[in-house]
Amino acid sequence: MMITWPHMGSLEVVLSSIFEELQLDYMLPPPNSERTLDLGARHGPEFACFPLKTTLGNFIEAIENGADTLIMVAGKGPCRFGFYAETQRRILMEAGYDFRMYQLEFEPRMIPNTIRNLRILKQGRSWMSLVRAIKFAFAKGEVIDKLEQQALRQRWMDRDKGATTAALKKCYEMISGAGTYASLSRVEEEAFKSMLSVPRVEREEIKIGIVGEFYLVLEPFFNLNVEEQLGDLGACLERSVYFTDWLRPSTENPISGHPASESEEAARPYLTHFVGGEGIQSVGHAVIYKRLGFDGVVHLMPFTCMPETIAKSILPRVSQDVGIPVLSLVIDEMTGKAGVSTRLEAFVDLARSRRRAVDIKPQLQPTLT
Amino acid sequence: MNVGIPGGLLYFRYGKLWSSFLDALGVEVVESGETTRSILSSGVSKAENESCLAVKVFYGHVMALRDEVDALFIPRLVSVKKRTHTCPKMLGLPDLARAATEDKLPIISPTIDFQKGLWSNYRAVYSTGRIFTSNPLRIIRAGIKAWGEHRRYLEKLTQGLEPRHVLNGEESENLCEGRELRIGVIGHHYNVYDTFTTMSLLDRLKGMGVDVITADMVPEELREKALKRLPKYIYWSYEQEIAGAILACTQYGLVDGIIFMISFPCGPDSIIRVICEHENKMMGNIPMMTLIMDEHTGEGGFLTRIEAFVDMLRRKKRRMEETEEMEEAVIPA
Repeated sequence: MMITWPHMGSLEVVLSSIFEELQLDYMLPPPNSERTLDLGARHGPEFACFPLKTTLGNFIEAIENGADTLIMVAGKGPCRFGFYAETQRRILMEAGYDFRMYQLEFEPRMIPNTIRNLRILKQGRSWMSLVRAIKFAFAKGEVIDKLEQQALRQRWMDRDKGATTAALKKCYEMISGAGTYASLSRVEEEAFKSMLSVPRVEREEIKIGIVGEFYLVLEPFFNLNVEEQLGDLGACLERSVYFTDWLRPSTENPISGHPASESEEAARPYLTHFVGGEGIQSVGHAVIYKRLGFDGVVHLMPFTCMPETIAKSILPRVSQDVGIPVLSLVIDEMTGKAGVSTRLEAFVDLARSRRRAVDIKPQLQPTLT
Repeated sequence: MNVGIPGGLLYFRYGKLWSSFLDALGVEVVESGETTRSILSSGVSKAENESCLAVKVFYGHVMALRDEVDALFIPRLVSVKKRTHTCPKMLGLPDLARAATEDKLPIISPTIDFQKGLWSNYRAVYSTGRIFTSNPLRIIRAGIKAWGEHRRYLEKLTQGLEPRHVLNGEESENLCEGRELRIGVIGHHYNVYDTFTTMSLLDRLKGMGVDVITADMVPEELREKALKRLPKYIYWSYEQEIAGAILACTQYGLVDGIIFMISFPCGPDSIIRVICEHENKMMGNIPMMTLIMDEHTGEGGFLTRIEAFVDMLRRKKRRMEETEEMEEAVIPA
């Protein structure tokens, strides 16, 4: 039984930690590439959302490399994500691949089914060890999220471009090597030290928030490294969703700092009802970021994503109302990197000149009176 | 006070209910009527690029009503059945309309959610009534009357009449009258019944001598029974009907062919399509064509595909009849 799962941000570190702890066989799909996208787009339904195609591509590449047991999360909607597993199972079956797929659902009604699937997946390991492994993996995930947050906040001050990214990559390795809670907290300390010791220079600060659909926000290959690009352009960043925020059952005290209730409250004048996925959070965070004095918001969405389409229809209104520039980037297999880079550059320039205009105004006023 | 009801999306299903409810409360109801080219183009220019054709049409209807009415009536249908949701776009529809009209027009949007039980729905309807009248009895009477009208309207749809004829009270030919071929035209109400965006598909099929079965006309028990085949419960209310209708059509051989109408880029339908095509292939393979409509769909290409599909079905049927005749001719000898 060779277990695999699709890539999504730091998911690979977290899940491999579980399987390593339990000493089970697993393999990662080959890293995301153009081929992944090609395969996914070829087999996937025409206007299914982008993550369905990319994760399908991951599965196909993993099966080609010898995996036979696929893990996928399923749900109860109203977003399409809940149906990914079922759709992908049918597509892979029709394409003639040999595999078993285990769907993990956390809706109360489906819990017995999930427990049955977990029993097969844990292959005779005890439930206690499974719970312990999950808890430990979650702790690792939290450390990674904190480090990513730190990277977003400091990348714009790098003296040498890419230094923070390189340091972050080293931190990932250190964390996946940690085996106990004690070593994890030691690694955390070390990692933060190495991140903070990256050489910096003084720069003019502008702050940009990233909101949007979680898969695209979390998966750097498919969002065309938006975070790195913005950081290199000199923007201090914050994002609305982190991996463990998305995973955690409770929505209080997220890494991103703004619980769901707060962003729903902020979105209320514009969007009053839950629309699935992160639709309402995207709108709410745009408002929150304005309150915190950010200079702009970048909204990431996959093409045809239903909740984000609603958010995208409403965001121009929010932008006008509260006065914060919003750039919506719709990404799919046709999106070119150069186009996105140009738009990001223009957006950062715009945010910067707005900030300067605001900074200059108070100086002008005394001379006028 | 006059209240506008945009004639897009769920209007094809609940239009009668809404208009007769408001009518019974003494409100002057303004409807935007059927989709026209100008409605479509104003909707396309106003709506978000990524929204589906039906939402764009809906925007057009909202724009058409914007200057004529004092308020818009756009209910938020969260769930019309236990354990299901409607499409996210319908969950956000009043908010979309508010963004489109730039907050200039009040929007009456009671929230209907059957996951929360009957009481909250009663409250939603009642508070809508209170906007127009202070007489509680009148609200209840209006509600009961509207519900009756709605049931009669749906009943007529299951008998095979087209919504626009029913709404206008015209006499019309039945969609299914025992013509030579029978095709299931399955899809959302707003995809199948909108004469403009479908380029009067139903009339054209009638003209070609084809009987049409819509999802409404497939009996509900058959739909529910057919849905039991699926390992995963479909959590969208209207997709359940569509998938149920397609599966019932193939499982019980109700039709000679199926046309699945989707508006680009409908989220739930993209998934349902994969599941239905796969199930259809495993069950008995009734010819199935998926028509995807958007604002750029050309009439020529659309017609050619339908004609080719109908011709193909006709030839298939004739060949089957011939082989049956031959078999019959062989047996006596």
